[in-house]
Amino acid sequence: MQDLSTLKIQSKDPWKDPKANGWDVIDGRQELSDRTLEADVVIVGSGAGGGVSAEILSQKGLKVILVEAARLKSSDEFNLNEAEAYHDLYQEGGMRATKDGTMSIMQGRAVGGTTVVNWTSSFRTPVQTLDFWRDQFGVEGMDEAAMAPWFAQMEKRLKVMKWVAHNSNNQIMQDACQSLGWQSDVIPRNVSGCWNLGYCGMGCPTNAKQSMLVTTIPAAMDAGATLLHSAQADTLIIEGDKVTGVRIKTLDNNKIATGATLTLKAATVIVSGGSIQSPALLLRSQVPDPHERVGKRTFTHPTSFAFGIFDKEIAPYYGAPQSIYCDEFSHQDGIAGKAGYKMEMMALHPGMVGAFVAGFGQQAWDEISQLPNMGGAIAMIRDGFHEQSQGGAVELRDNGEPVIDYPINEYVLEGTRRAHLSMVEMFFAAGAKKVRPSHSQADYYTSWKDAQARLSKLAYVPVATGIGCAHVMGGLAMGSDESQCVVNSDGSYKHLDGLYVMDGSVFPTSVGANPQLSIYGVSARNATLLADKLKA
Amino acid sequence: MAVEMHRRDFLKTGLFGGALLATGSSLALLSGCSSNDGPAEGYLHLRQQDVELLLPLTGVVLAQALEKSGASAETALKAYDKVLNGAMPGTRATMFQLFDLMQLGAARWYITGSWASFADQDQATLTQTLQAWFTLDRTLSRMAWKGLVQPLMFAWFAQPEAGLTTGYPGPPQRVIS
Repeated sequence: MQDLSTLKIQSKDPWKDPKANGWDVIDGRQELSDRTLEADVVIVGSGAGGGVSAEILSQKGLKVILVEAARLKSSDEFNLNEAEAYHDLYQEGGMRATKDGTMSIMQGRAVGGTTVVNWTSSFRTPVQTLDFWRDQFGVEGMDEAAMAPWFAQMEKRLKVMKWVAHNSNNQIMQDACQSLGWQSDVIPRNVSGCWNLGYCGMGCPTNAKQSMLVTTIPAAMDAGATLLHSAQADTLIIEGDKVTGVRIKTLDNNKIATGATLTLKAATVIVSGGSIQSPALLLRSQVPDPHERVGKRTFTHPTSFAFGIFDKEIAPYYGAPQSIYCDEFSHQDGIAGKAGYKMEMMALHPGMVGAFVAGFGQQAWDEISQLPNMGGAIAMIRDGFHEQSQGGAVELRDNGEPVIDYPINEYVLEGTRRAHLSMVEMFFAAGAKKVRPSHSQADYYTSWKDAQARLSKLAYVPVATGIGCAHVMGGLAMGSDESQCVVNSDGSYKHLDGLYVMDGSVFPTSVGANPQLSIYGVSARNATLLADKLKA
Repeated sequence: MAVEMHRRDFLKTGLFGGALLATGSSLALLSGCSSNDGPAEGYLHLRQQDVELLLPLTGVVLAQALEKSGASAETALKAYDKVLNGAMPGTRATMFQLFDLMQLGAARWYITGSWASFADQDQATLTQTLQAWFTLDRTLSRMAWKGLVQPLMFAWFAQPEAGLTTGYPGPPQRVIS
C-alpha cells in the first residue's frame, strides 16, 4: 500500500525573510490609514498574467507595484491540510459557484494567483482556437507561428517538460486510450525537481511547481518591484479618457476592509485579476463600454467527473495529478459544432471526493470509503465556439462583489452526457470493476453494456448533474470587432487610455485546454510590447 | 443590501422563485422564524435557527461517515460553518435567505419537495426528502442543494481526521527549517 504519511519533506521558502532579500513588501493588514503611492505601472492581480507582466516590466527598468487581494502565504505555510488550503488559497474558500449554484468554481486566490494551486498542466493554445479568435473576433498577430516564440520563451522560463512518472490514476487513461485506439499523449508540466507527491492543488510544499510565487514575482522583486498584498482593488481612477491609478482597500485576516484606502498613482494600469475579478473591477469603475460587453462571454470549461473502482490500489491522492490527456473528443464535430471535451485525470483527496461524488448518505459513503482503489477522470467542455454557447455574464452584487451568472443549457448538458459515456467507457477499458458518473441519480455500473443502457435513462438536469470548473476565461474579450470586444490584441482597453488587461479574461472563447500557458504566452507578448512602448 | 438583492433576483429566478425570495424572508421574519441575533454559540456564522434547521439534514447526509468517526452532526455542521467563513458576505447572505425560506412550510415544499419540518422527519423520510430535492429542476432548489450538501460533504472529509476514515493514509510531513 502506498503511504507517504511518514515521508518528511523540506524545502527552502524564498519568502521566509523578504527584507533580507531586499524585497519591498507592503502588508495591507498593517495599513491603517490612507496614503498615496506612485509607480510607472500598477498591476492589479499577481496570477499568471500579473506575475509574467511584473517580471517583464520590472526588468525593463519600470517601477511596478503589484497588488494582490490575498494575504502572502508561501511554502512554509503549505501544510497539506485540505480544509485549510481551500479556505486560504481559493476564491471564497472553495465556496465560489455560479449564481444559481450549479457550477462550482475552483479559482485561486493567492500571491501567485491560481498558479499556486493549479495542477501544472501546460498546453500551448490549440491552433484551432487561435484561428477561431482571428477569424471570428479579429484577433491580430496571434496565429500559431506568431505565438510559438512566446510559448517557447515561457516554457523555458517555467521549465515546462513532458512528465515521465505517471501515477496509477493517469496510467488508467494511458492504458484505456491505447486499448480503445483513442488519441492520448503526455502532459507537459511546469515543475523543476518535482517530488511526485500529488499536492499541487494545496500549494506545492517543495516549491517544485514553477508558479508565479516562486518564479516571476521573486524576479520582479529582485528588479525593484513592490508587492502590496492583502489589498483589494476597489475602483480605477479615471480622469477624462485616461486611467491614472487605482483605489485600494486593504484587508484584514478575515478579508474584511481595514478602513484604509491606498491611492496608487500610475500612468499605466494593468488589470490582471483573472476572469470574474477583472471584469468586476471595470464594472465597479463604470468604465466607458458602449456595447455593454464588459463581463459578457465569460467561459469556464464546464467540467464533468466520473469515478472508477478497481480491484487494485490506485492511490489517486498521490503522484502528479495530471500527466496524460485525451483529445479524441475535443474537435470531433469541428471547432464550432456540438460540445467537444478534453479528458484528463483528477487528484482525489478526501474533501475533493466528498464535493464531487454527487450524492449523500450510504451511497456517497460506499463510494468514498473505497478511495484507495478509486480512479477519477474529468472532461472539460470547450465553451464559446458554438452559437448556443455564450458562456456567463459577470454581474455585481449591490455591495460590489462579483457573481457570475452562467445558465447551464442543453448544449452543456448534452455534452456532459457524452462526456460521461466516454469517461465510463475509458474506465471499463482499463479494467475498472464498477464505474459511476458524477450524477446524483446514477448508480454504479458493472459493465460498459450495463452503463450504456442505464446512463441513457438518466435525466440531465442541472442540479443532479455534477458540474464544476477550474478555468475561468473571457469577460473582457480582445479583438478588432468592437461590437464584441473591449480590448485590442495588444491588451489595451479600447475606450480608455492607460488601461491594459493582461490575464485570461482577454480570451474571446475558452481555450480548449488548461489555460495557464495560454495566459503566460499572451501576457509575455503584450507585456513586452507595452514595455517597449513605455521605454521608447 | 438584502432587500435590494431580492429585488434584483426577482426577474432572474423566475416568477415564483423570485416572489418567494422577495417575500419569503420577510414572512419568515414576521412569523418569528428568522431573526438576526448573530451566530449561534460555537459557530462563526450560522445562527441558532440555522443550526436547528440543518442539524437533522447533516445527520442524514453524513450518517455513515459520522458513525465511522464517532462524531456528531454538530461537529460536521461546525466544519460547514468554517467553509462558509471563506465565502464572500453576499454569498453567505444568499444562503441565509434560503435557510430563512426553508423555515416556512410552503417554501420548504417549493425548494425541497417536503412540507414537513426537517426536525419532524425520521431518518428514512429525510433520506427520501433529500432524494426528491435533487430531482427538482428549480433555481432555488439548486442553490440550496449546491450551497449546502456539496460544501457539507467537502467540509467533513477535508478535515484531516475525517479524511483518514476513507482509507487515505494522509499527507507527507512538513519539516520547517
